[in-house]
Amino acid sequence: MAASNHIPGMYGGALKPQLLRSLLREYIPDEKHSFRNPSDLSHVVSAVKTHRLLWEWAPSSTDQKLSDGWKSAVDAWVNRVSALASSSMPDKSWAGICLLGLTSQECSSERFLASYSEWFNKILSHMQPPSDSHFVRVASCASMSDLFTRLGGFPNAKKDGNSQASKLIQPVLKLLNEDSSDAFWEEAISLLCTLTNVFPASVSRHYDSVESSIFSKFMSENCPVSIFKKLAHGLALLPKSRGDEDSWSLMMQKVLIFINNQLNVMFQGLEEEARSSEVVRLLLPPGKDPPPPLGGLTASAKNSDQAMKRPEQVLVSRVSTLMTCCCTMLTDAYPVQVSVPVRSLVALVKRVLMVDGSFSQSSPFMTAMRQDLICLELPELHRCSLELLSSIVKGLRSQLLPHVADITRLLTEYFRTCALPELRIKVYSIMKVLLMSMGIGIAIYLIQEVISNALLDLDPHGRESGGSYSAARSKTLQDALQQCFQRKRKHPTSAESVGDQSAKGGLEVETSQNMTAISVRIAALEALEALLSVAGAMRSDGWRSNIDRLLITVATNACKVGWADNNSTVVYGEATPIWADFQLAALRALLASLLSPGRVRPPHLAQGLELFHRGSRESGTKISEYCCHALLTLEVLIHPRALPFIDLQSAVDHYGSASLNLPDVHFADHRKNTSFHFSTLGKEPSQPESGDDDLYERWLANGDETDVNDLGKYTSSDKKPSGTSTHPALEKLPHGGSPSERNKREGGEFGESMAVAADKVPVDGDEIMVDLPTPESYKQTEERDHIEGRMLVATAGGHTATESDGLVSGSATSADGHTDFVVAAGKDVSSSASKRNTMVTEQRRGAGLVLEINDDTSMDSLPDIVDGDPDSD
Amino acid sequence: MEAELVLASSPTDAGISCWDLRSGTEHLRFRSCSSPAHGLTSVAGRFLASSQLRDSKSSSGSIFYWSWNKPQPEVKSFPAEPINALASNCEGTYIVGGSVSGEIYLWEVATGRLLKRWHAHYRAVTCLVFSDDQFLLISGAEDGSVRVWSLLMIFDDQRREEAKYLYEYSFSEHTLKVTDVAAGYGGCNAIIVSSSEDRTCKVWSLSRGKLLRNIVFPSIIDAVVLDPGEHVFYAGGRDGNIYIAALNAQVNSSSNYGFHIIGSLSEHNKAITCLGLSMDGYLLVSGSEDGMVRVWDTRTRNIFRVFRHAKGPVNNVLVIRQPSHCNPRTSMNFQAFSSRRHVLPSPLEKYSYSHDDNIDTKACINCQTYNNIADVPNISFQTMQNQIKELQQQGSSAATEMEMERLKLECKRSMQMVQQWKKMYENLHQFCVSELLDGNEHESASRHNM
Repeated sequence: MAASNHIPGMYGGALKPQLLRSLLREYIPDEKHSFRNPSDLSHVVSAVKTHRLLWEWAPSSTDQKLSDGWKSAVDAWVNRVSALASSSMPDKSWAGICLLGLTSQECSSERFLASYSEWFNKILSHMQPPSDSHFVRVASCASMSDLFTRLGGFPNAKKDGNSQASKLIQPVLKLLNEDSSDAFWEEAISLLCTLTNVFPASVSRHYDSVESSIFSKFMSENCPVSIFKKLAHGLALLPKSRGDEDSWSLMMQKVLIFINNQLNVMFQGLEEEARSSEVVRLLLPPGKDPPPPLGGLTASAKNSDQAMKRPEQVLVSRVSTLMTCCCTMLTDAYPVQVSVPVRSLVALVKRVLMVDGSFSQSSPFMTAMRQDLICLELPELHRCSLELLSSIVKGLRSQLLPHVADITRLLTEYFRTCALPELRIKVYSIMKVLLMSMGIGIAIYLIQEVISNALLDLDPHGRESGGSYSAARSKTLQDALQQCFQRKRKHPTSAESVGDQSAKGGLEVETSQNMTAISVRIAALEALEALLSVAGAMRSDGWRSNIDRLLITVATNACKVGWADNNSTVVYGEATPIWADFQLAALRALLASLLSPGRVRPPHLAQGLELFHRGSRESGTKISEYCCHALLTLEVLIHPRALPFIDLQSAVDHYGSASLNLPDVHFADHRKNTSFHFSTLGKEPSQPESGDDDLYERWLANGDETDVNDLGKYTSSDKKPSGTSTHPALEKLPHGGSPSERNKREGGEFGESMAVAADKVPVDGDEIMVDLPTPESYKQTEERDHIEGRMLVATAGGHTATESDGLVSGSATSADGHTDFVVAAGKDVSSSASKRNTMVTEQRRGAGLVLEINDDTSMDSLPDIVDGDPDSD
Repeated sequence: MEAELVLASSPTDAGISCWDLRSGTEHLRFRSCSSPAHGLTSVAGRFLASSQLRDSKSSSGSIFYWSWNKPQPEVKSFPAEPINALASNCEGTYIVGGSVSGEIYLWEVATGRLLKRWHAHYRAVTCLVFSDDQFLLISGAEDGSVRVWSLLMIFDDQRREEAKYLYEYSFSEHTLKVTDVAAGYGGCNAIIVSSSEDRTCKVWSLSRGKLLRNIVFPSIIDAVVLDPGEHVFYAGGRDGNIYIAALNAQVNSSSNYGFHIIGSLSEHNKAITCLGLSMDGYLLVSGSEDGMVRVWDTRTRNIFRVFRHAKGPVNNVLVIRQPSHCNPRTSMNFQAFSSRRHVLPSPLEKYSYSHDDNIDTKACINCQTYNNIADVPNISFQTMQNQIKELQQQGSSAATEMEMERLKLECKRSMQMVQQWKKMYENLHQFCVSELLDGNEHESASRHNM
């Protein structure tokens, strides 16, 4: 009978009990059979997880038989696992405990709630007696912590969970204080962390003893450095068990004082006394009692003398671990508001960063050997304090505002001297975070610093690695700045040669660069990307063109050697940045440079597009993914859109059929409910002004409009009399007449016209800005406006007036639908007139005059002159 | 779609009304509020704050806080002088107030400390808005100037001394009182739109600090609001019309109102005083002097809903996302969390005390992120894998120890086995011997019988 039935595959629920039973039969040891191979166990675990064999959930439609079968299979499983766990053979009880941990994660909620306390006792029994092997105890800690994690998901079990958990604390602490293996300590701390997270009340009862246990472990001689991190994490989580403001602040204060004291010992002779006392003063305002030392009085007294005996390396790793602890406290969620000692944190960071290992000869404490030892460890300390700084920024966000100025000053000062790649990466990343989170305000501060450092790090001519950083730096910086200004004064044609030159020089250097240099350059590119996306248009006169050029050069060079495949890194496990990451970073920065608003059209758009096109063909890589995204984004730049506000025709159908989240109900209401309808000046609501797809129309009218449009542009940006001879040059930019350039606020059209002008005459944009608003030219321009206005009116009227005859006659005759043409031209006139209006407005501002064309009843009105305040800037 | 609330207040003591934008149901009405224009703000959705109009006799101003579930103001602060405009940044860290004398006050919400106070304008500040990245503050004043302040600069004593001006930009092209300011998206490339009693709205570029566009309206504009896509902006006029002015939109030459004005919404008989826009940009909320709040569908330009606030004029409307605890469905889960969090902060201080420079920033560390227990990774699997590796390599002492213990136990068991077997053997032997003996006896006996 079974043969005739359809036998379900692995997706059918019916098979699952069977699978479970066969696993149980084949792989799980029982009292009689012993283990064949421990790796069987991991096979079992992954099979159970993949197929969710302990889930015991079936869609309600399926028959009772299945659920019964499954239930009995799981029953058998649980019985076997429990039996194993209480076995006297250590390997079996180890397996049983591991599987019990798995069961408590995977089983159904009903089963879990019914039997968790039984499991808890079973695991607990293995944690207490000293007879059990370490191996079993480690496994019991891990399983226990999973059991409590699961239990924390049931709000009803909170109370019971808390009482169970508090039973556990004492044994765990006792074990922690014993000598044991590293692995065991690690698991015990994880268990404590889990309990603090899930059942804080259970830990809060033993708050002080937990603190002192962790701390004395941390300070004890035999504590391996490898578990420092875990211990610090446990310490950082501890205030959460109470969840009030005071415990957090107290813990933070204690940790900071401890760090500061350790630094006092380490930095003897390396810094002025004042630095240390400043931190103390900020931490403990005069008149306030100092808090008890970290870990309680007894623990700290016991450890204080041996603490100092350990070598510098351990001292440093202790301090850096506690700094990590501060980081965790700052970035982890905390249930209530706390007062963060920002000033003392920043002062502490500053204290560490300002120590560079140099010392005055007069200092009695310092020997050359000690200096060596300290200098070896300094980078690690600096790294941690930068990490701390970045946590401050991340944790406090906008609340940091009053301290941002101090922090940026500290960062820039440090950046000037910092030469180690790892540390530079950190500084770049902090700057990136600052830029992203604080936008324009901070960009004003950081532009100079990011640019000069990035110029240095990305310098395609390469530099010798190592010591002469600051010397090389100042030289390169000067060169770069000089070049920048020279270029500004000269013509943009020089850009080409520079690009070529650097491309030539760059390639050789880059192939020989080592990995660290790549990672610094990636960080520099990321910081530039952030800067461009936040403040590309901010005070950009001086730096934008230079940075744009740098980025296209870097990206071109990076991609010249072919595309690297970034999948290969996975094999080595370690996430070291490789060439592909560099390419990606270069492309990302390039996209930001192309998209970031500037005064002119992105000058390297064509090169950039070409790069992205090439990159997008490397299918399956991250680079191609990104290049496709970049091409999509750039498409808007190439075909600017001015889509209608709402497409009413299709909107009705669309919302009616596909019920999107949009409030279609209201929409329908309104179409019916005409009593509320107030027609706006003869316009039916079904024909809003913007309802037409004017982009399409403009494409149709393209051939006609370019003449008028470009004429307007040309004359307004360059005072030479225009002629048809300019047209071939202008037609190279077919998007010159596209509609969204009417977007006045970008100043895009001004740049546009400059770009057009630059084709003909090599003038820089700034010169135009200087040239035009002079009072002498004003009258002239006004006159021209006037004439042009008339000319355009004539065009709009559909006549071929004499002034414009030579220019627009061709288009007038070629338009077969005459009325269509008039409409298109009329629109065009208004747009070009308004465009000119804006340009003129911008140009005249220096002269304190604002032109305003009140362009409603078409163009015959003269521009109004509105008096502006001359000293407004 | 996320529920949104419409809030309205007025200069007469009519309280703050609160409606659901889409369903139209009225929520709690908050009492004792007579706000000046731009004086109502929601502090990060946590509570409401409004500056108060007071009789001219008292020299100090007042700012009230309402929590979402109580009608009475819970916290009252009394700044040094009357405050007109009030704004808070989107995280709710700071509250800024613009006073009648042209000062701007900046308080930290959590502690109520007055962090900074500076002289911003020659006459009363009328409106304050934060830029989209929250680190620039834009103020408009009765003296017709619009100024852009970088908050970082305000806090940086060193730079402040070096700089010639405290502000980043000062736009003084308006000839009369500035009535409203709106800031768009786009970081440094954003635009600012300001309206004034000189019947113009002006569009400014933030990146360059320049006037981009000047739009003359048929009437005085008291309120402006930007379409989120910055296609158009809406300007509420004193003649009762809401004008639609083009930013990116196509301009038709046929407009009857003026250049750049592409249409209007009109129903109000009395002046429009304030405007708000829903998050999707399709519903425009307008408050009028006749005490009504109207909601328009910007696509059809029809009225979608009308709320009645009071007899007196409305001068503030806000459209905000519904706070999570207002919603009965979610409030259960957040109860424990919110009970602690929604205690209102202490009142705002009157003066800044220079001696408490050392007081630490009271900060909310990641209060928003809610820890999900499901995200906690399970560690037993990882531990087990490590242990299996250890066992297979048999390198570590712990693994060896376990192995040894296992062997010991096995040995013990084997010994027991051996004992057992021995015993069994002996038994069998015994049995056999006795059997043999018995058999012999039997045999001999039977032989005997034969």
